[in-house]
Amino acid sequence: MNALLISAVMGVLMMFSSFMLKSKSAVRNVALAGMFLILVANILDTYGWHLFNIPTEGMMHFDRFSLFFNSIAFACTFIFFLLSARDMEKVGINYAEYFSLIFFILCGIVLVASFQSLLILFLGIEIISIPLYILTGSDKRNLKSNEASLKYFLLGSFSTGIMLMGITLLYGHAGSFDITVLIKAGEKPSSLAIAGLLMLLFAMAFKVSAAPFHFWTPDVYDGAPTVFTSFMATIVKAAAFIGFMRLFSTAFYSLHDQWQMVIAIITALTLLIGNITAVFQQSIKRMLAYSSISQAGFMMLALFALNGTATEGLFLYVAAYSLATIGVFAVLIKMKDYTFEGFNGFARHHPFLAAVNTVFLLSLAGIPLTAGFLAKFYMLKAAVEAGGFLWLVIFAVLMAAVSVYYYFRVIQAMYFKEGDAPVSMEVSRPFQWVLGVLAFLIILLGVFPNALLYWFYF
Amino acid sequence: MYNFLQIRLSAFLLDVNTVGSYIPVALQVLIVVGLIGFLLWATHMLGPKRKTSDKLEVFSSGIGSHGEARQPMAIKYFLVAILFVLFDVEVIFFYPYAVNIKGLGWHGFYAVLMFVGFFLCGFIYILKKGALKWED
Amino acid sequence: MSITQILFWVLTAMAIGSSLMMITRKNPVYSVLWLIMTFFAISGHYLLMNAQFLFIVNLIVYTGAIMVLFLYVLMLIDLRHDTEPRKNKWLKFAGAVAGGCLLLVIVAALKDSDIKSNVVQTGEGDIGLIANLGKALFNEYVVPFEISSILFLSAMVGAVVIGKKE
Repeated sequence: MNALLISAVMGVLMMFSSFMLKSKSAVRNVALAGMFLILVANILDTYGWHLFNIPTEGMMHFDRFSLFFNSIAFACTFIFFLLSARDMEKVGINYAEYFSLIFFILCGIVLVASFQSLLILFLGIEIISIPLYILTGSDKRNLKSNEASLKYFLLGSFSTGIMLMGITLLYGHAGSFDITVLIKAGEKPSSLAIAGLLMLLFAMAFKVSAAPFHFWTPDVYDGAPTVFTSFMATIVKAAAFIGFMRLFSTAFYSLHDQWQMVIAIITALTLLIGNITAVFQQSIKRMLAYSSISQAGFMMLALFALNGTATEGLFLYVAAYSLATIGVFAVLIKMKDYTFEGFNGFARHHPFLAAVNTVFLLSLAGIPLTAGFLAKFYMLKAAVEAGGFLWLVIFAVLMAAVSVYYYFRVIQAMYFKEGDAPVSMEVSRPFQWVLGVLAFLIILLGVFPNALLYWFYF
Repeated sequence: MYNFLQIRLSAFLLDVNTVGSYIPVALQVLIVVGLIGFLLWATHMLGPKRKTSDKLEVFSSGIGSHGEARQPMAIKYFLVAILFVLFDVEVIFFYPYAVNIKGLGWHGFYAVLMFVGFFLCGFIYILKKGALKWED
Repeated sequence: MSITQILFWVLTAMAIGSSLMMITRKNPVYSVLWLIMTFFAISGHYLLMNAQFLFIVNLIVYTGAIMVLFLYVLMLIDLRHDTEPRKNKWLKFAGAVAGGCLLLVIVAALKDSDIKSNVVQTGEGDIGLIANLGKALFNEYVVPFEISSILFLSAMVGAVVIGKKE
């Protein structure tokens, strides 16, 4: 509850600072301070220091699952602000508003991570989506950005409509929005409930961009301003997964056997389409969009398995994926040319940036000693423990091998090709420091995953 | 219709908590729609009609028409319209509060106050950003 | 057949008919007008279910305000030319299959469900009355109510970010 209220207030504060603070660095400092405050308040909340005591009538439940994820998401957003806040200036003139919208999205993330009633889930998804439509279209002079925004808006509201229909059918079945009483264990669910479940499944699959509901992803991620792509491909997607997990592990757990096959098919399709299409991309930004689809395929394995390893693995995966992708995007924003050729000879001109970028890409590809490897390992382990679907595990391993190809193309361009790798803006020293810390975190998590997972239990 | 007539009409009509109280409204709607429809139909049928190509032409001050009326219009109209809708919805929420204002007590008052407070912040923001300024 | 049942079927036919008309019109302005018709029919349903508040809100907000917004959007875009792009035949086919699947799921769900026996409660129940709805909104559902103001705020910021001239 702490984080929810403070981030709402921070959003309002940023709205006011858009006309009260003249200098952009002041706006940025307020946003950074606010982000830090939210992170601290959430950690306090985790250990029993509730700043506010508001009865939620059982609509929200702030358990360790949600609070722990919130901390990960806020920490990632803090790092994202440190790295890319300066680059938001170039998107448009409404600098403070962008922060304001991001704080509102964080409110939505808290809701999606801690809902106990389908009503709150819907509100959270809407509060995440609507600012995202705006951030996608915030580069108003760019036609691609406008197109992406419109596409995202139309498809997003369609999927929200399907979600509402599903919620309606489930309400018709149970007479309640509460996810703990939605489907009673051992009871044969009515066909209303099954239809509602399927619709919620499709809508959530859309939000996490799992195939065959992924069609919006490449265009939207490619068209949106790169700073905001970085945010929506990482933290927002992670939050959607946490909401997905919470919904299906609580409300629909008793029907696990019945929807497991559907999830398995969606997972396999997502892995296939994401990885195979990413191989053929020429622009790195678009390649990262497809890579985010394929990473979503791996995260879907947690939903497929739905056991203790899957929960731990999802947290690790979310952290590893978000940190690495934020890093890759932060480097990408500095480039003038977004194609693979744009990175030719990058290592010669910026050896440090090339080195940390390699760490991020290795983590995304899932090479040992990086966080990405252990995250993928946890996912596969969870899927094996779930049992019965060995073909899915083998397929996922194969697809992980395919993904190595396109991540290594970037590394190859950086180290083994001749070129001058034009950089569009100067790279400051603090930026390099933060990137260094990020790379260190990824390696740390790759060697000691319990450095993160310890905090889930204690 | 037969069932309908068997109900005690006055009780049915006067109880504001049932749909029955809307029957006068429905009757009025029927009469209004019927009357207008009838009048339109009647004038159409009764009046003389002599259509020539000149008479069907668009007429404005004797100048021949050119171009289309459907020009794309400025986005500021839309901005005002969407802000109107947001505040319109806010006002709608007052309605169920106003009916229960006594019963809800201070608790309900604080809830509404917080809601309006958020909207007030939004309103100040809109004013300060000049979103409602027509000339710019 | 009682009068409420007759009204129910008339309104249902009106809602389905006008929404079909809405999606088949070529001219978007006609589509909007048919949509208004659909909203009226649905408002009538709310009234039959004794949800008087929803009835009036649906009329004021949707039929009044949202439809004006739709018309504004139509005026924002250039409708002078027949700009509707040629749609791929296979795409149309795929769309029809996908929509048909959705319809199949819903029909299959409703076909053998147990709610068939007790169809919609018309003219009874008092949860939709303004007083009762207000009590539920400000006691049980006060948290979602407050949270919805965040949604409104982000919509306001969005309107300014997207719509304000730089």
